[in-house]
Amino acid sequence: MRWSIDHRETWLHQTNPTAKLLFFLPMFVVIVFVHNPNVLINWTIGFTALFMLFSGYRMKHMLLFFAPFLFIFISTSSSMILFGKGETTWFHWGLIHITEESFYRGVHLGFRTLLFAIFGLMFALTTKPVLLFYSLMQQAKVKPKYAYSFLAAIRLLPIMLEEFQTVHQALKVRRAAKAKGFRGKLELMKRYAIPLLSQSIRRAQRIAVAMEAKGFTNERTRTFYYEVTLGRYDVYLFVAMCVIVAVGYYMADVFPYVAIKDVR
Amino acid sequence: MIHIEQLRLKFPGAEKRLFTDVSLSIKKGEKVLLLGPSGCGKSTLLQVMAGIIPRSIDVPMKASKLHIPNRVGYVFQDPDAQFCMPYVDEEMAFVLENLGVPRAEMEEKIARMLRLVRLRLPHVHVPIQTLSGGMKQRLAIASVLALEPDVLCLDEPTALLDEEGTKAVWETLKEVVEDRTVVIVEHKIDHILDFVERIILFNEHGEIIADGGTNEIFSTYRSFITEQGIWHPDVWETYKKPKTAQQPYAHGDVLLHVQSLRGFRQKEEKIAVEELVIHSGEWIAVTGENGAGKSTLLQSLMKLIRTEGDMYWQGELVKHEELLYDNIAFVFQNPEFQFVTNRVDDELAYSFRLEKRPEHEVAEEVERLLKRFHLSAQRHLHPYQLSMGQKRRLSVAASVTEQHRLLLLDEPTFGQDAKNTFALLEWLEAYRQQGKAIVMVTHDERIVSEFATRRWIIESGKLVADEMIAPRMLVRGEIG
Amino acid sequence: MQTKGLKLTDVLTTVVVAIVFGIVYKVWGPLYYAVKPLGLHLDQLIYGMWFIAATVAYLLIRKPGVALLAEVAAASGEFLAGSEWGLEVLFYGFVQGLLAELVFAAFRYKRFDVAVVSLAAVGSTIASLVLDFYKGYIDQLAWWNLTLFIGARFIGAIIIAGVFAYSLVKALEATGVTQLLRPTTKEDYDSLDK
Ligand SMILES: Nc1ncnc2c1ncn2[C@@H]1O[C@H](COP(=O)(O)OP(=O)(O)OP(=O)(O)O)[C@@H](O)[C@H]1O
Ligand SMILES: Nc1ncnc2c1ncn2[C@@H]1O[C@H](COP(=O)(O)OP(=O)(O)OP(=O)(O)O)[C@@H](O)[C@H]1O
Ligand SMILES: [Mg+2]
Ligand SMILES: [Mg+2]
Repeated sequence: MRWSIDHRETWLHQTNPTAKLLFFLPMFVVIVFVHNPNVLINWTIGFTALFMLFSGYRMKHMLLFFAPFLFIFISTSSSMILFGKGETTWFHWGLIHITEESFYRGVHLGFRTLLFAIFGLMFALTTKPVLLFYSLMQQAKVKPKYAYSFLAAIRLLPIMLEEFQTVHQALKVRRAAKAKGFRGKLELMKRYAIPLLSQSIRRAQRIAVAMEAKGFTNERTRTFYYEVTLGRYDVYLFVAMCVIVAVGYYMADVFPYVAIKDVR
Repeated sequence: MIHIEQLRLKFPGAEKRLFTDVSLSIKKGEKVLLLGPSGCGKSTLLQVMAGIIPRSIDVPMKASKLHIPNRVGYVFQDPDAQFCMPYVDEEMAFVLENLGVPRAEMEEKIARMLRLVRLRLPHVHVPIQTLSGGMKQRLAIASVLALEPDVLCLDEPTALLDEEGTKAVWETLKEVVEDRTVVIVEHKIDHILDFVERIILFNEHGEIIADGGTNEIFSTYRSFITEQGIWHPDVWETYKKPKTAQQPYAHGDVLLHVQSLRGFRQKEEKIAVEELVIHSGEWIAVTGENGAGKSTLLQSLMKLIRTEGDMYWQGELVKHEELLYDNIAFVFQNPEFQFVTNRVDDELAYSFRLEKRPEHEVAEEVERLLKRFHLSAQRHLHPYQLSMGQKRRLSVAASVTEQHRLLLLDEPTFGQDAKNTFALLEWLEAYRQQGKAIVMVTHDERIVSEFATRRWIIESGKLVADEMIAPRMLVRGEIG
Repeated sequence: MQTKGLKLTDVLTTVVVAIVFGIVYKVWGPLYYAVKPLGLHLDQLIYGMWFIAATVAYLLIRKPGVALLAEVAAASGEFLAGSEWGLEVLFYGFVQGLLAELVFAAFRYKRFDVAVVSLAAVGSTIASLVLDFYKGYIDQLAWWNLTLFIGARFIGAIIIAGVFAYSLVKALEATGVTQLLRPTTKEDYDSLDK
């Protein structure tokens, strides 16, 4: 939903959302079964390049998006590095036990998370939600009631954020925004959650009623305002991905960065 | 067209039936107004006529005969609760898609509908969020017209709109309905009297009292209408306002003094006021168009949003918001956010309990308020289950207590029948007589001219006028 | 007016509520990572928040399919809000929702008490552990560390997605909104004639 940030429309934006989803999701499975850190490092470089070159966002913004992921890199790997099993001890102090194996495993995990993050960013930043759901209805035959529910919910998001502020204000005014003790805090959490949730349930109801009043039925015989099709850009994307995957795999074999080929 | 016989309806868990054997029928092309006091069941009945109950909302009901048309267009009160898509063209297209209109014809149809309701936009792909309330309602009408409905149901479509917007929406409607059947629920009927030809009159128990031509109803049932507290064209002429109204208050002192106040929303300055002084015993009406910044001004005065500038409460510089919360009561534009308890009576008792008043006193106060605001029968309900007007009343009654000296009220009378509006105004007037000050946002010119002592006009985030309506107050500092 | 499958209102309500939780899920991410480097798996105690959409939605709507839909919708919401985990959350959401759904199905969608939702929370925990097993090499952690990890996740899940979710819905029921979601009963209709 960050697509509201200004950017160029590149060919990545022209790809079919469903196709993109179908290309990206299996990568999750593929990556999980790769145990060679060299491969992951190459893929990370490859897909980062694809993203940086063709997402159409400014470098400044992209670096901003990436910042949290470095933090995640560290925190994902640290647990495994500090407490993982291994033979070749590098450092041992109390419960902390760093070994060569656990270190590389930790780094491997870090790259894995980074790769998932890049796919996520690439998808989110180059896909308009409206077109995604239209495409899901047209290409994946998702039932309209699901697609339009998601679209309506997305429309409601900013309204609900505003509501959160109002609830906060109202509780302050009525002197109900503070509470002491653990029970009080729980009570307070409910005081926020209840109006927000019940309000969103009500809104959902009202919108469902309004949609049905506008003639919405769950039949598949509807027409579509946006026609989303498959095109040559989907082929480009597919080819680009295949190239990165294959070259990365090959290079890892020929020019490895680290000697370890399986971190398990 | 619409034919209902012996309709019975009861909300699950309610004590009484809302409707007992209500029958009515509406012929093709008729323009009908449902008129009745707040809470009598108008909105509910309209939803039955539109088939929304029980198709989309499951409420136990039955009728010995029920004939309702297939295609009903329904315009709801809340502009934000009727759209499912983010952009104007997408929302319009949603209806056309439902009807199976071919893609090639959509663009032209959308443009035609928007022209019909006079919604002029730079282009059709505009985010709905950026439209004003009045524009949103016109979009709602356009999308409903795209349905080509046999019947058009309107439930207070202008309750949240300013004078301009209200007029524009009704004018649009009058132009576009042509020979369609129209059923309207509305409290403020000035704009539609020349339009509706038939009125169905309800009493507070959801029974039909009368059904006939507009003029006939107003001449024959005049006393009944007044007695039930329903708005009618010359209700203000017959209303005797309290003698004290707009009389100067003798012992005014400065309550709130504000200097170069600025209020921000997401870093954007939305209101800027150089200086404001509020004296005790004043009744200040705040008026202005939708989106002018009235609510923002009130929220800034309460420091609910980020503000800059100095504020003095009775001469003391305000450093902590608590000082304001202790002395100022605040009623939000949307009543639903204000509720913190699960029952109407608990809601009324909440502030008293916070003040640690003895329980028998609390019970007495609550009884008094329930009676004054006509909520006794609803005392066990959850605040959310109330009708529109009932919610509004409850939110006002529950937030004002003795300790507050200044009341900030954001449109406390919208969606209200005459009886309850007057009760509310008199209640506020009594507070003013005790030396409290009232700042009230309203779109109702009559309330301004009958009750307010002063008026602020807000225009695009600026205070453009600050005028006295009643004679200047005597302010202690000035005579001494 | 009971129709087969989920009605538009059911779907829409589920999705909207789930997306509210999706935002919570998103906010939960940084929180989780903030306590994570401690290494002693205190973070696992709050992991259960990522299962709550399924149980709350099921308790609200009480219909087959809702738990799965809610968890997937919440994950999509989290994803769209810019989750640190990217597309991975969709997998987790799907599998977690699926196991919760299976638990409810095992009781034939007839029970709505704390025990059932806690069991569903346990189901979701197992789902997440299976994925973690493949993705995070958690079996390669020292045994004491792994026990702590798994134990904390189960306990947190039962507290948050089981007990807390239940009390949240109870409080929501007091507001009467749930009435709109439940099919009317025969008694309600009978009382029309009294
Ligand atoms: N879910 C509910 N449970 C119990 N009572 C309800 C529920 N919803 C509405 N009511 C009651 O039904 C009555 C009719 O409500 P309705 O909204 O139809 O009134 P109305 O005539 O439109 O009033 P207003 O002019 O204030 O909008 C009210 O007294 C309200 O308290
Ligand atoms: N929560 C918000 N976030 C950002 N902008 C807002 C918010 N609420 C209002 N605004 C904007 O601030 C301006 C003033 O709005 P405000 O609600 O104060 O108007 P108003 O005079 O109370 O109108 P109405 O008669 O419709 O209640 C408008 O341009 C509006 O779009
Ligand atoms: Mg109403
Ligand atoms: Mg306002």
